[in-house]
Amino acid sequence: MSGRTRQVVNQASIPSQESIESPPFDLMQVPVLGPLFRWRYARPFLQAPLLVVSVAMILHGLFGPSLAPKNLATTLSWLHFRGVLVLVLLCAGNFFCLACPFMLVRQVARRYFRPRFTWPRALRNKWLSVALFVLILFTYELFDLWSSPWWTAWLIIGYFLTALLVDGLFKHASFCKFVCPIGQFNFVASTLSPFEVKVRDQDICTRCLTKDCIRGRRDVASDLVMIRGCELALFQPRKVGNMDCTFCLDCIHACPHDNVGILSRLPGSELLGDSLRSGIGYFSRRQDLAALAMVFTFGALLNAFGMVSPVYAVENWLGRMLHVRHEAPVLALIFAVFLILEPLLLLGSAAWLTRAWGRVQRAFVPLIVRYSYGLVPMGFGMWLAHYSFHFLTGLYTIIPVAQNAFASLGWPLLGEPRWTLTGIPANAVQVIEIGFLVLGFAGSLAVTQGLAEEDSPARPMRAFIPWAVVCAVLFSASLWLIFQPMEMRATLMSG
Amino acid sequence: MVDGISYLRRSRLVLLVVAVVVGIGCHRPHNTSSAVTVEFQIEPKPVRVGPVVIRLTLTDAGNHPLTGAQIAVEADMSHAGMSPVFGQATEVQPARYESHLSLGMAGDWVILLHGTLPNGEKLERQFDVRDVRPN
Repeated sequence: MSGRTRQVVNQASIPSQESIESPPFDLMQVPVLGPLFRWRYARPFLQAPLLVVSVAMILHGLFGPSLAPKNLATTLSWLHFRGVLVLVLLCAGNFFCLACPFMLVRQVARRYFRPRFTWPRALRNKWLSVALFVLILFTYELFDLWSSPWWTAWLIIGYFLTALLVDGLFKHASFCKFVCPIGQFNFVASTLSPFEVKVRDQDICTRCLTKDCIRGRRDVASDLVMIRGCELALFQPRKVGNMDCTFCLDCIHACPHDNVGILSRLPGSELLGDSLRSGIGYFSRRQDLAALAMVFTFGALLNAFGMVSPVYAVENWLGRMLHVRHEAPVLALIFAVFLILEPLLLLGSAAWLTRAWGRVQRAFVPLIVRYSYGLVPMGFGMWLAHYSFHFLTGLYTIIPVAQNAFASLGWPLLGEPRWTLTGIPANAVQVIEIGFLVLGFAGSLAVTQGLAEEDSPARPMRAFIPWAVVCAVLFSASLWLIFQPMEMRATLMSG
Repeated sequence: MVDGISYLRRSRLVLLVVAVVVGIGCHRPHNTSSAVTVEFQIEPKPVRVGPVVIRLTLTDAGNHPLTGAQIAVEADMSHAGMSPVFGQATEVQPARYESHLSLGMAGDWVILLHGTLPNGEKLERQFDVRDVRPN
């Protein structure tokens, strides 16, 4: 066979890269889901049941049993909601924001109050929501929210009122984009989700003249909005990934070409690369987003640390050292160590080594910012391990709590409460927890390695190793945490 | 420009929200009370994970010993989702009752008593057992 003939045969037998890649799976093509999501009232339809459940949680939290294991507010909030949330984020995407009950109330309220103001320019970032995220974690520990149906109910009420106030005053989805701590958690975690709201064919967008996905559609005569465009300022053709996307379906409904789908993708792929992202900008220039990613990652360990035995020894020791008996200053110190000192030390050392050893040319702070996203998978692994533990070990507890709630209303529809129902044994769940941690560790290694290869094509391993060590430290700490004996105390400092 | 009708609707909505918030803000759950006094003791001290003995002494309003009560004991953790522990209190001496339980986890526990007095009256009590130490 001549050389030329062989070349032709080889060309014919090796398919091009484009032909190898199969088209992404589109949830909008699934028989029941597609028509449901295309339906104009899909969002309220999904929000309404969650609103009913939220109201039940508030009422039971305020007027029901004061003991957390017997109350719908605490059981549903701290076991089932959190567990289902992280598992849906892992397996699908940000579908909780889609079905968010706070936004249903806001939508009804906006029929009465039309917002007049635009969100202040100085606050158009994640700093406020990062502070609120930390505040929620802090109050959760300080006031033992998990043991108080009363305060859990007020937390839910506070959420509804804040959403109403912010979106009653300010236009667009200001609450979701700049305030909501749950939303920020979901945005960061959904960077690892397997689905993304995305255009199917960029060429159709190039030819599109109306850009309804961002502008919305207005009635020509009355100038009233008929279909909303993206309220979070994400222009579909230039949107990258799930950051800031609430899966609200507005762009899907607005697109006149039916060109927006919910497409499968490689989880975490959006953490690599640094292209210009609509509504976001460049990841590497967003210190606020990096701070959110760090609070997400290190907060996962901190939140788990708050429920194991060693935390009490540490707090009592700190209390003695500082001569304080009040919990708040000791807790504040632990938070500062976990959320400021530890990240700065770990990421600072890794960034310094990457620059010195890997000869990466980026400046110090932008380097930390860039690689902080690489730790998100490890953080998500820890959130998954922690929340799935509570969810799975207490899986069936909702049954006796619901039975009891109905019985207390005088409607024993579900029979006598079976309080012996709990969930999957803890030692079986521990295997699942380890699986989540390994998954998160592998994800963080993959992302940081990808970033190192981009930054230092000549010496990728030298740029990668410092970050691999950071990932290994976080993985070891997470593994140590899940093997610690659990201790559920409402009083952190004893004596 | 806001017309009178929409202003009225908005005012009603705001008033409704304020009324609901104030209404539930003024309500706090409270414990039921009864003339029966229950003296509660738990051993060992400090309480550790594992077997514990709960000792109860019941007296009526006139400080007379209350015998013949049927008392079920339930131990719950302060966090939802943890497995509760159940037991029965037996009368070991007149008006003195004892129950043996096994606490499975360190932390804060709540002991609930569900009882019936000889006269048919229901007895419900709650005792906090804080800081159960790990073994």
